[in-house]
Amino acid sequence: MPALNPIALEVLWNRLLSVANEQQTTLIRTAFSTIVRESLDLACGVFDTRGQMIGQSLTGTPGHINPMATGAVHFLEAYPPEVLEPGDVLVTNDPWQTAGQVNDFTVMTPVFRDSTIVAYFANCCHSPDIGGRILSAQAREVFEEGLRVPITRLFHRGEPNEELFKILRANVRTPAETVGDLYAQTSSNAVGARSLLQMMDEFGLETLDPLADEIIHRSEQALRNALEDIPNGRYEHEVWSDGFEEPLKLKVAVTVEARDIHIDFAGSSPQSQRGINVVLNYTKGYASFAVKAVISPEVPHNEGSFRPVHITAPKGSILNCQEPAAVASRHLVGHFLPGLIFGALAPAIPDRILAGGADPAWMSIWRATWPKTQKPANFTLFQLGGMGARPTKDGLSTTGFPSGVGGVPAEILETQAPIFQRRRELRTDSGGAGKFRGGLGQATDFAHVGEGSWSVSAMVDRTQFAAHGLLGAQPGALGELELDGETAAPKTVLWMDEKAVVSMNLPGGGGYGDPLEREPELVLRDVIHGYVSIGAARESYGVVITYQGSPSQIVRLPHHYRLDRPATAQLRQARRHRHP
Amino acid sequence: MNSEPPPTPSPQPYRAGADIGGTFTDLLVVHRETGEFYIGKGLTTPEDPSLAVEAILRQVLADAGLSAGELRHLIHGTTLVTNAMIERKGARTALLTTQGFRDSIEIGRETRYDLYDLMLEQPKPLVPRYLRFEVPQRTLQDGTTHTELDAESVERLGRELAANGIEAVAVTFLHSFTNPAAEREAAEILRRVAPGLRVSISSDVVPEIREFERASTTLANVYVQDLVETYLRQLERRLLALDFAGGFYLMLSSGGIATVDTAVRYPVRLLESGPAAGALAAQAYGLAAGHEDLISFDMGGTTAKICVIDKGEPSIAHEFEVGRVYRFAKGSGLPIKLPVIELIEIGTGGGSIARVDSLGLLKTGPDSAGAVPGPVCYGGGGTEPTITDANLILGYLDPDYFLGGTMSLDLDGAQRAVRDKIAEPLGVSLEEAAWGIHQIANENMANAARVHALERGKDPRRFPLFAFGGAGPVHAYRIALSLGSPRLLAPLGAGVMSTVGFLTAPLAFDFVRSWVTELEDIDWQKVNDLFAEMESQGQVLLAESGLAGAEITHRRQVDMRYVGQGHEIRVGLGAGRLDATSGKELRTRFEKVYRELYERPGPPVAVEILGWRVASSGPTPRIRLRVEAESTDEATLEEARKGTRRAYFPEAGAYVDTAVYDRYRLSPGMCFPGPAIVEERESTVVLGPEARCEIDRDHNLVVRMPKAGR
Repeated sequence: MPALNPIALEVLWNRLLSVANEQQTTLIRTAFSTIVRESLDLACGVFDTRGQMIGQSLTGTPGHINPMATGAVHFLEAYPPEVLEPGDVLVTNDPWQTAGQVNDFTVMTPVFRDSTIVAYFANCCHSPDIGGRILSAQAREVFEEGLRVPITRLFHRGEPNEELFKILRANVRTPAETVGDLYAQTSSNAVGARSLLQMMDEFGLETLDPLADEIIHRSEQALRNALEDIPNGRYEHEVWSDGFEEPLKLKVAVTVEARDIHIDFAGSSPQSQRGINVVLNYTKGYASFAVKAVISPEVPHNEGSFRPVHITAPKGSILNCQEPAAVASRHLVGHFLPGLIFGALAPAIPDRILAGGADPAWMSIWRATWPKTQKPANFTLFQLGGMGARPTKDGLSTTGFPSGVGGVPAEILETQAPIFQRRRELRTDSGGAGKFRGGLGQATDFAHVGEGSWSVSAMVDRTQFAAHGLLGAQPGALGELELDGETAAPKTVLWMDEKAVVSMNLPGGGGYGDPLEREPELVLRDVIHGYVSIGAARESYGVVITYQGSPSQIVRLPHHYRLDRPATAQLRQARRHRHP
Repeated sequence: MNSEPPPTPSPQPYRAGADIGGTFTDLLVVHRETGEFYIGKGLTTPEDPSLAVEAILRQVLADAGLSAGELRHLIHGTTLVTNAMIERKGARTALLTTQGFRDSIEIGRETRYDLYDLMLEQPKPLVPRYLRFEVPQRTLQDGTTHTELDAESVERLGRELAANGIEAVAVTFLHSFTNPAAEREAAEILRRVAPGLRVSISSDVVPEIREFERASTTLANVYVQDLVETYLRQLERRLLALDFAGGFYLMLSSGGIATVDTAVRYPVRLLESGPAAGALAAQAYGLAAGHEDLISFDMGGTTAKICVIDKGEPSIAHEFEVGRVYRFAKGSGLPIKLPVIELIEIGTGGGSIARVDSLGLLKTGPDSAGAVPGPVCYGGGGTEPTITDANLILGYLDPDYFLGGTMSLDLDGAQRAVRDKIAEPLGVSLEEAAWGIHQIANENMANAARVHALERGKDPRRFPLFAFGGAGPVHAYRIALSLGSPRLLAPLGAGVMSTVGFLTAPLAFDFVRSWVTELEDIDWQKVNDLFAEMESQGQVLLAESGLAGAEITHRRQVDMRYVGQGHEIRVGLGAGRLDATSGKELRTRFEKVYRELYERPGPPVAVEILGWRVASSGPTPRIRLRVEAESTDEATLEEARKGTRRAYFPEAGAYVDTAVYDRYRLSPGMCFPGPAIVEERESTVVLGPEARCEIDRDHNLVVRMPKAGR
């Protein structure tokens, strides 16, 4: 291997990342479930021979990337190199070893060059069904949540492990999709391996490990350098999630000490009786993501990104649950962690972080029967609320954060299940008011096509505790889950009659800075676009706007609105006086 | 496509191609048989782009002593449509949707295209929220009507839109790709109550599933329609006034060509027609030189574009993005769901800025010094070192012969910038820094090319590289080396490659029918009828364009996948009647293509077909540019040699005396070894020490590459 000067390193590093992107492209192109191919609930990465992640694909979701990265060593322990053969592919969905729920399958493939393993590829994605209860938070033990597959061969010397596939098919509601996705995951790794071997041939690399060391070392140093920009100190914060039977407290103490950062979740609620518990691997995933995104987003993500970040949570707490805790809806708690950590760091680095956002992606599992064929349908829908406002920009509306998952077009949903989406629109006034406004949530309604009962299990949160605003800004709107106009119970399976209408209104993000300092023209623009109502412009921003067109006209253009500057100045003056 | 018409003397022996770019309008007139050609170039006239076309055409014809009546075809492409979208210069446009869904185009996919950057931005829809309207109406997934269109509210809206000066409206109802009736009815009403309003309906522009992408595409179509129609009609009038009596056609993003009427109805299909033509030129040159497979590489001032041509065909994508707002990142632009010659564009061009990042690593692009202030060596006030500055330091560019000597370059300034901003912070020498910039730019482009090829399951080591664009030939040798390309082709006239491309496309029309059926249950009679119907449509359209029956060919393809997957792959199908035995063969073909792409077989489940396609085309025109005027067979290699220059080559680890050749004096059959520099007016080819170069009969510079590996 040639000595790695900065230029050679850059060349090889870039190549490695492009290999991981190819791996991801293949996964999306070959996937069966809409969870993978539409919502991109996945992760892809390349690992050295010691199980250290050295590169990941461009997108994906931290709840998969990081637990996959830290979980790889378990595969190496279970199947050390000497027992593996070319064509072998390993799989597990063990929550404690990988991504924290039995629905997430991690598939890992060794890459052989001649007869030696030179690297591994792994990917992780969310299976549409794994048996047991329909995904909800209702289980009391992980055993109720579906089939658990310990680290096992999925393929042996290129041949499918038919015994395992037989058991899988018999246990899940969506055998074609669950098994199809496992094939897609296998293809994804195989294409990554093909390209990696081409790269090694081209550059004459016998081994990747020296390159891995250099990549990891450089990334670690870059993160440590960036940590020096944060004033040393201990920063605390707490937030509340809806929980299941009762609200949950999530508490953090972030300690920045020179070139290390310690994140401790002591003081958080104890583990729950129900399926919203988070394994430590998943806690670490979102906590380390938060540090990286806020401190050094430009440094590629790999093993080195974890090293300066020390994460602890008390055993038996909600963020470090112990077997046999139920864990199916762990994302509803885990997705709060970046916002929690940002909240703690706000006093230290206010100009670099987001206000609170909708946080947990809303995931709902719909079951219904097609009227003509009487075939059952089982569909997993993701929806995203508003992101928190930023120090210099408004928050993004209906954009996932911290997860990287995406939504689903109504036309895809309706083609895959006998469900009728009545609306999907931005929620006016749901973004927290501030000098910069929080992103908007969305308002959605669903009905059933055909006859008979149907069900939804809505894994949603932030219906009781809003996304916080920063530096004098207001919080975002609460989320709402309604059945026929009445508040319904989140995180449980709701069985409904054929005429029922389900409303899911997603939370907005919190604002950033004092709303009275927002440029009145920006408030006017928001009113013209219907992001903010005339009433809220007055109430929240102290901006007086009148609509001057006819009440009956449909087309309402910018010139139909008038910004009353003197009245605005007066109103803002009075407000400041009231809240100095 | 090999059936050339018999060589009868034609009163219209010439063909013309015209490319309107953001800055320049290029024109090329070529004799169909002899290859004699004339080039015109002038500034684009943005207020009325047809003005420049006419002026340049007049000039070229006058210089050549030709008349417009001698032109058989004029084929035209333009970046006007792309620019109108990026600069938001289209019509005042509204959107009409199914009730409850006016925000689909703003909600988008709900993902972040960069996982870690908290400051990213989403692309802004073409239509602001206050111009998006809903109407009671609902079609279900199977095409049945759940709620009838409320005609009255469409009428009211149409009147109000017209009264408020709205010029265009896109209608996109849910599931209209299955049942277009409601969209058609709404369009009829709008046209009736507001005759001046332009209306595009999504079931006509792009009848495909996914409301966000369909709406985005339909909006783009109607947004630019007025601009395109006004311009094309004007150009038609100007051509008529010149006594042009040939066929006037437009190049499409897919590389096909279409009549003015089609272009006016679907102007969104003109997006990216300039870059598409560059890829077609590469295709044509490759085929002429005996290379069915190529990677085309076009590098200009701010970006590089790369396209894979496989078995004589450029790869076609079915979706692309316009106006990416964030470092050319996938996901940061407006989606357009139409076939396009698949190019990847990356932010590496001559003006890309080099810098040392927070990891202490050297990076280039995507920030660009642009035309103003430009690279440091242009002397226009630029202070950041760019790729062009590095190339100058390395001796690849002649400070006194830039753009044929019309501009001189500041070597001292370039050296200062690279030393201060790159060499010293990295602790390396000036040459190492300049070489590093050059090499990292090359690697970025080579990586992009490699991913692009591999995403299609193509091995880049099999593919010669075809380099053009102002900066392409400077970098091509190293990129070819990095990709492991067997050959490098550098054509003469790299600056007019797009106009060449316009003239290489056959007349062609594409047809598709959606019909989802499992392979097991196919009604083969219906398949035969479908294909026959599409092929006869193609036959008629091409005959109307002046082609004889024997010149027309039809190619069949089907879109297939495993039942339950979300993405299809395209599988070719032979001609002739299909029957029950065809199913088995189709499955075998599908599995083979699938495995080539994705390395592993799919699961043991049924296979389905979703789309049935026919591409009907005429013969592929042959085009060969000939440069009789400047090179003669008597010239010797010595006479073509302008002298030597000190240039840096890493193989020597130093600057070495390098032969410099005049491209216009090199003639077919000449051979010379690297290192060498070959200069023409708009570009410079740089060749490393292991290159073996030859000028082929078409005046291409063909380089045999040393074997890869380092």
